Amino acid sequence: MDNGMSSKTHNANSILLARRTVLQLRTEASRERMKVSKASADLMNYCTEHAMADPLLVGFPTSDNPFKDKKPCTIL
Amino acid sequence: MCDQTFVAATFGPCENCSTPSPLINIYIKSEPINYCSLCVEMMACQGLQKGESLVSLKRESESLKKKLEEERKKLCDVELNQVAEKIEVLGALSIKTRRVLKGHGNKVLCMDWCKDKRRLVSSSQDGKLIVWDAFTLNKEHGVSLPCTWIMTCAYAPSGCAVACGGLDNKCSVIPLSMDRNENLAAKKKSVAMHTNYVSGCTFTNSDMQLLTSSGDGTCALWDVESGQLLQSFHGHTADVLSLDLAPSETGNTFVSGGCDMKANVWDMRSGQNIQSFESHESDINCVKYYPSGDAFASASDDATCRFYDLRADREVAVYQKDSIVFGASTVDFSLSGRLLFAGYNDYTINVWDVLKGTRASILFGHENRVSRVRVSPDGTALCSASWDNTLRWATDFVTENK
Repeated sequence: MDNGMSSKTHNANSILLARRTVLQLRTEASRERMKVSKASADLMNYCTEHAMADPLLVGFPTSDNPFKDKKPCTIL
Repeated sequence: MCDQTFVAATFGPCENCSTPSPLINIYIKSEPINYCSLCVEMMACQGLQKGESLVSLKRESESLKKKLEEERKKLCDVELNQVAEKIEVLGALSIKTRRVLKGHGNKVLCMDWCKDKRRLVSSSQDGKLIVWDAFTLNKEHGVSLPCTWIMTCAYAPSGCAVACGGLDNKCSVIPLSMDRNENLAAKKKSVAMHTNYVSGCTFTNSDMQLLTSSGDGTCALWDVESGQLLQSFHGHTADVLSLDLAPSETGNTFVSGGCDMKANVWDMRSGQNIQSFESHESDINCVKYYPSGDAFASASDDATCRFYDLRADREVAVYQKDSIVFGASTVDFSLSGRLLFAGYNDYTINVWDVLKGTRASILFGHENRVSRVRVSPDGTALCSASWDNTLRWATDFVTENK
């Protein structure tokens, strides 16, 4: 009898979950979207605008490097 | 409201409320519904006259999902790497490890930079939290906590406190004091309480609010002072493994990823799930916003990292190689967003060209899984934490020709 009871409440919960999913999908479906070409162009622009200021991308001079090794370097 | 008299052919537990009563046997769109009279009345009042049932709801969700896919496909007029063909190929990167931080006695699970670009906090499996000074390699603070597996740690924006959480199902805030003799563990204050492990935490724009993600499938926003739950975010159907706050000051959104293979974008004020992305084939271990806030990347156990654009509402790039078969556990962008650093379970860090989709470099050195990679706030250094008990610093610099 316990199994029967839990499966009925499970049914009610499934309906609630399904209803919530449908409402969520309805809101998502009504959203405004942008074309990938425009979105990609914007991403590319951001990269190029900030590229010169990206120390991991372009590197920065050893004299400014706080992590520089203190010992003299040897050429291997 | 009085019950109508009806002839009841069956008596038993109602399919809606489970109370045993005479059941009205009705058919909605040829599906039998056995509800008690009260539930039939309630169903009618809730506007379910059109015959909403589990089957019809499932059918509607399937058709909505299909419609969403079609809409998203329509916008895919070109691939990101095609648009990126006109951009220059990256030069050779000379990112090298400059320092190895030793001090943890066990797997380092997480680390976070301080806004002063110099300090960082790391947490490990044996319950230790260490605050390091990057330049001097000094250990400024060491805290031993009673719980093991501190899976997440975060530095407060002011630099005066750190937050950490893990298997204790809590996220606690520890104020950092300059007095070395003070027992920091005693001043620990529990802020967040979840019903399962805490997998990720971050302060919002101030020291006053903490955002957490948990193995209980939810994310939550807490007030640090009172410990009050301000907002909770439900929608994931499995453990949430990671979260990241949107970079903009005015923005109030964050993204989370979890074991249900979904990445969800949330509105912090309303608690609503704004967008959802489901293209990974396994657990999403880490999510991180692109510096502009218009996109985010994810790392997954399916050995790929993916890039999602929020305005196009779809995945725009997949970073994968046949030779990469181990799961990716962590990602972070460089300052300009051109590079994506991803730590993998095969002990390496792959550096991806975000726009072209190709691998720009591999960083070797760790002797066990890379659990976390983070670029410093000014973009000059990359710190990686690993299960080999160490953290490593790497920078890229050019020697001046003088």
